[in-house]
Amino acid sequence: MKPHQLILIVEDDEAIGKLLHLSFQQFGHKTVHAKDRKSALREIQTRSPDIVLLDLGLPDGDGKELIKTIRSLLTVPIIVVSARSEESEIIAALDAGADDYVTKPFSTNELYARVRSTQRRFLVHQTTDSLITCDTLQIDVEQFSATKEGQPLKLTPTEFNLLKYMMLHRNQVLTHDKILKEVWGVGYQSEMQYLRTYINSLRKKIEPNPTSPTYVQTELGIGYRFVCGKGN
Amino acid sequence: MQRFYPYRHYIITFLLFAFITAISLTFRNELEKTNIILIHLLPVIVIALRGNFIATTLVTTFSVGVLALIYIPPTLSFLVDELIYIWSFVIFYIVGYTITFQARRIHHTSVKEILYNTLSHDLKTPLSSIMGNATFLVETHPLDPALRYQALSQIIESSRQMNRLISTLLDSARLQNIHTPLKKEWCDIVDLIGIALREFRRDVLHERIDCRIDPDLQLFYGDSGLLTRLFVNLIDNALKYSHKDKAIHITIIPNNTTLKMTFCNECPSVPPRDLEHLFEQFYRAGNTADISGSGVGLSICRDITRAHHGQIKAYNTENGICFEVTLPILKRPSHLLNEVS
Repeated sequence: MKPHQLILIVEDDEAIGKLLHLSFQQFGHKTVHAKDRKSALREIQTRSPDIVLLDLGLPDGDGKELIKTIRSLLTVPIIVVSARSEESEIIAALDAGADDYVTKPFSTNELYARVRSTQRRFLVHQTTDSLITCDTLQIDVEQFSATKEGQPLKLTPTEFNLLKYMMLHRNQVLTHDKILKEVWGVGYQSEMQYLRTYINSLRKKIEPNPTSPTYVQTELGIGYRFVCGKGN
Repeated sequence: MQRFYPYRHYIITFLLFAFITAISLTFRNELEKTNIILIHLLPVIVIALRGNFIATTLVTTFSVGVLALIYIPPTLSFLVDELIYIWSFVIFYIVGYTITFQARRIHHTSVKEILYNTLSHDLKTPLSSIMGNATFLVETHPLDPALRYQALSQIIESSRQMNRLISTLLDSARLQNIHTPLKKEWCDIVDLIGIALREFRRDVLHERIDCRIDPDLQLFYGDSGLLTRLFVNLIDNALKYSHKDKAIHITIIPNNTTLKMTFCNECPSVPPRDLEHLFEQFYRAGNTADISGSGVGLSICRDITRAHHGQIKAYNTENGICFEVTLPILKRPSHLLNEVS
């Protein structure tokens, strides 16, 4: 993450706002603090921040509406910081256009890692190379082949497509619906059983220890996150 | 049996009615009407003690209906010949509602009191550790880096402990409300164990957890959030009540109709008398006064297991204690993996 970026913190709680301000300042960034929807919109229009951190529960209205408004104004990474652990709220925020989320209580390291990986996605263009690599995993999109530590992996077509989709969208939260739609197709969004079964079989082939997976992380009730380079 | 458990009061009441009717009909000639009316008040009192107004209304009306129909002339009709009986019926309702009201009040205050006492203790313990360590960090200059690290680690650990307790309470509140159904979906149990383990610090768990899970374990149809909470609480319990360097064994074995999961840890044995009560809310075994815990954890484990129509039990082993959760497999995933590699 480049230094001297402007981070807009939309948060009505003083203490959390201060914590976010301090920790981003530590990394050499500037922050602007907005306590409600109205001032958040004003800051966005006048200063055009590089990143938006947004609390869903704002005093003057729903955060999801704000996400939609920001999306229509600017191309900027939006990360939701939510105290609501209700999964449907988070999914709705992601659907509204948020790029990632952290739930309170969170560690600042965790948040910083999310910010970095989200921002990298905005900066780096999609690779046109047929080889996709993530740590010791590599897949060849044209040859339909995959290797782990140089050894070929035996994957079924669905497993391969699932792995390819997740490796292309690494380090970001992918909701169940989205994966099912992208890998299986429209109309399969509610077939959770497919997703769980294939994730399980894929993990057995690529993860050294299934109870502590390093690549395919589960976001309970929301989806999965494919982690490359420990989220860096 | 588990399925009928929430309705046990109605079953008891129904049996009581059957018993009363048998007595009343057998001794119809020996008993005065007043006696018969009085014994019909019994089921009303029994159900009123539950503190549920709808249940009281239902049973009182039923009781009054039976009296009017069978014993009070003209029989086999809901008509009564004397006004005095109407008064008796009104008294039935008054007695029923008064007891219900009182039962409700007593119930609320006692639960509130226990909740207040245990929670204030359990939330305050980690909170005082956080405050103490934070104040220490702010006020002590200069500070040895090792001490600083220790204090900060303690703050993180205590916050995690608080977070676990709050999550447990929120889930517990969700389970208490019968109107919120379980959010059932296909769950990968191995995955959920992994998520549960992530709630603890890695160095605490390092090499202590020994997982034995059937590699061909199928998906289980249940509430993933609640099942994770079940695992978190059982692991938390095992970590709290065992020796610091001893292993914790997690075994998951499926068979045709059930999924059996055991969480074992090494500790001094628990008296059999305590074993039965471990899952009651706010119950804590006698020898655990110095360990932080509220007795909420295992009680919610029981609630989650019951909500999945399963059973939970604890038993002593040679050198410790095991918690065994048995969940019935009510729905099986269809076979999908028939693709060729």
